[in-house]
Amino acid sequence: MTYCKLALRNARRQARDYLVYFVTMVLAAALLYSFNALAVSDEVQTLAARSANLSLMIALASLAVVCVFGWLAAYSTRFMLSRRGREFGLYLLSGLTNRQVARLFFLENVTVGAAALVLGAAFGGLLWQMLRAVVLAMFAQPYRFALEFSLPALGLTGLYFSLIYLLALGRNRKRIRKMKIYDLLCFDRQNEGTVLRTGKLRRLVFVLSLVLGVAGTCLLLRMDLYVALAGALCAILALFGFFLSFASGVPAFFDRRPARKYRGQNLLIFRGLTAKLASMGMLMAVLSVVFTATLISEGSSSVLYGIMKGRTAESACFDLYIGIEGERLDPGPYLSYIGENIPVERERLYPVCLTGKTQLQDYLEGAYYNNGYGSDPVLRWSDYAALRALAGYPAVEPPGPGQCLIHCMPYLAGPLGTYQEAILVGDSALSPGGLYTEHLSQSYGTANGRGYILVVPDEAAVGLPVHHLAYAAKTARPVTTEQVEALAGLASAERARQEDLSGYAFVLSKAYEEAEVAAQALMVCFPLYYLALALMSTAVTILTIRQLSEMERFRRQFALLHELGMDRREMARALGGQFALYYALPAVPAVLIAVSFIGHLAMMPEPGVMVGINSPAAIVITSLGVFFLIYAIYILLAYTSLKRNVLPK
Amino acid sequence: MLQVQNIEKVYGSKNNVTRALDRVSFEVADGEFLVIMGASGSGKTTLLNCISTIDTVSAGKILMDGVNVADLSEAALAKFRRERLGFVFQDFNLLDTLTVEENIGLALSLNHVDPKTVQTRVREIAGKLGITDILAKFPYQISGGQKQRTACARALVAGQSLLLADEPTGALDSRAAKNLLELLSLLNRDMGATILMVTHDAYSASYAGRVLFLKDGRVFNELLRGGRGRSVFYHEILDVLAALGGDVSDVL
Repeated sequence: MTYCKLALRNARRQARDYLVYFVTMVLAAALLYSFNALAVSDEVQTLAARSANLSLMIALASLAVVCVFGWLAAYSTRFMLSRRGREFGLYLLSGLTNRQVARLFFLENVTVGAAALVLGAAFGGLLWQMLRAVVLAMFAQPYRFALEFSLPALGLTGLYFSLIYLLALGRNRKRIRKMKIYDLLCFDRQNEGTVLRTGKLRRLVFVLSLVLGVAGTCLLLRMDLYVALAGALCAILALFGFFLSFASGVPAFFDRRPARKYRGQNLLIFRGLTAKLASMGMLMAVLSVVFTATLISEGSSSVLYGIMKGRTAESACFDLYIGIEGERLDPGPYLSYIGENIPVERERLYPVCLTGKTQLQDYLEGAYYNNGYGSDPVLRWSDYAALRALAGYPAVEPPGPGQCLIHCMPYLAGPLGTYQEAILVGDSALSPGGLYTEHLSQSYGTANGRGYILVVPDEAAVGLPVHHLAYAAKTARPVTTEQVEALAGLASAERARQEDLSGYAFVLSKAYEEAEVAAQALMVCFPLYYLALALMSTAVTILTIRQLSEMERFRRQFALLHELGMDRREMARALGGQFALYYALPAVPAVLIAVSFIGHLAMMPEPGVMVGINSPAAIVITSLGVFFLIYAIYILLAYTSLKRNVLPK
Repeated sequence: MLQVQNIEKVYGSKNNVTRALDRVSFEVADGEFLVIMGASGSGKTTLLNCISTIDTVSAGKILMDGVNVADLSEAALAKFRRERLGFVFQDFNLLDTLTVEENIGLALSLNHVDPKTVQTRVREIAGKLGITDILAKFPYQISGGQKQRTACARALVAGQSLLLADEPTGALDSRAAKNLLELLSLLNRDMGATILMVTHDAYSASYAGRVLFLKDGRVFNELLRGGRGRSVFYHEILDVLAALGGDVSDVL
């Protein structure tokens, strides 16, 4: 058999025996290809013209992803080398030189990598179409399926893959070249060994790791960069301490409680686990850190997107909105620009007044984050009705005699819905007669109130002091970036003319803001998710490779148990228990740390932003959902394969 | 205790049939030490597998205390194996991840014995077999002889009534093999253990009370030790093996 044929045959065997690894490398190629295609696509570049750094961000994320997959490839090839040491030793015994064996191993892996690249690029083409559909939907553009092929993306993916394999194979090649036959034959006997030998030290490290874990999580929640860095360091140390002491401490725990050890399947489950942890405690800690990073990447991405989306949904509910403040309160320049340049279907120019009292503001103290007006804001009923029509909301009944309406952000609906006292507006005392919570641009200083606004009969508003003027319009076509920038330029010019720089016009356009959100999401959230997917698939692949590599040992174990009279149901339960604990161990600390972090991060923005599908609970659930969905797929595949192959028929 | 009645085991299909066991019949009485001998391929291990219910017979019956094991369901067979049978294998078959104590205790744990009494019973049997000192060690930390003693302890700790041994001395040096055989004799004599051992080694067989010889799946001969010394019995076994024309190298 020629050298190349042998390499090819081994590569085929490797892809079959380490199918999980091969599938993940295909996924790696698909991810790299699709995100590269996204970064170099003219269509996306044009849409996201404002995210000038999009390509740079994706390139940086790709570099991180290359390192992550490089680690996976390096770990997996080293692991395969240890498992196949005997085979390579026999090649040397048969007369091959170390150099030839190293080359054989290199060729095998390059073949597997090339196959993964080709398959991954094909699959990545489909993934790219999915990403394209998402991006176009974010920019409110129509999507049409097209089987496109991006040569630059393929070139970049090839380059990244070469880097991954150079990282992975370089060291192994050197190692094989230096190894003696005996070393190779005994390579699979190497173990990590017990790191913490004495019980006292073990207990100390275990307690210390728990303390560090709690302290680290608390510090992470402080949201101060340096404090958070210290928190992350504590959390990482806690994970390492936990896994090293846990592996050594479990046997000691059960040795002191023999009755518990022999109950049910405990003996098999805990011994299987400690045997694993004794040889891979450090790896478990690393994987737990990786899982934590995965969840934090996922969660941060969702939180950032939620913040942008939530703020935009509230503030940019009109096609065009201008809040005019300042010394002159002159809408003239804006109106004339709009008249000349922006086709408008309907429009409204109106004042936002003040009651001069802080009745509702005082009532909401605690729930209300910041008024900024110094008084309860007021809108005339006629203006409010016109605004609802401009925003496309259904018409509502006007306030009855002696009544007013309240329009507020959803988070204030609870307290304001129960407010019963008469509200003093000028000379009138009005009772609350209805409450509405649609988005009405209520989160800025020159908006329709901040958080809430009173809607009063027009006559009740006569003589009230004006806080600012506002202009809202429904346009025939989405307002362009250039138009928004021109209006903002007018505002800047006006501001420059003023002596007091505190007040000036604020321009908001729905189309502009939504495009801004899409561009920012593309630049920040996509790379974070990209990285999270790479981290997740890498960590779970390593876990699964380690689990499936024990197939023969499991088979022998269960064959013996079958002979000793253990029935199949009990065996399945023992296997399931071992499996559940094995996969739960690195995930549980990661989930605890990451959930605290994500939940806290999602609660940081001002009230009313993170609501609905972007609420902290929803983001935590979504992040965990994506995490456990990927985790479950790998676990299910591994469990099914293991159960089929190791339990006696 | 055990009655094997005209059992047959056939492998393969119509045109390619291998008859591993051909109308084999014998009985094992309570407290007996029976050895089954034969050359490679004579059907020894197949017979042991059928008795241990790991394999099924093609025809005939295996009765354990009057119960036909073929009539038992899968769950009942599992229960039967863990309560009635003890196994000692050539390659020890201890679980690497368990200590010696846990390997022995496993048999009790599988029998759902009260977890609080497991340790006591393990220490008791370990004391009888002289392995108390190694209870905390893992299989890779002890010698072959100690591993086989551990396997014996596991085979008897749950009060199993029949100990099945498949070439138990196959992986031991001569000294360890002798120690093990003496231990099996002791278990048979002093503890009343019923032992059915499969071997092709005449020296090992000479420790038994009765030897059955298998050839081509059939019982070829039977030797009873009676009141004779072990050395005399050993030479008689060698004579039968010579007549059998089996593995001379195994015999010498």
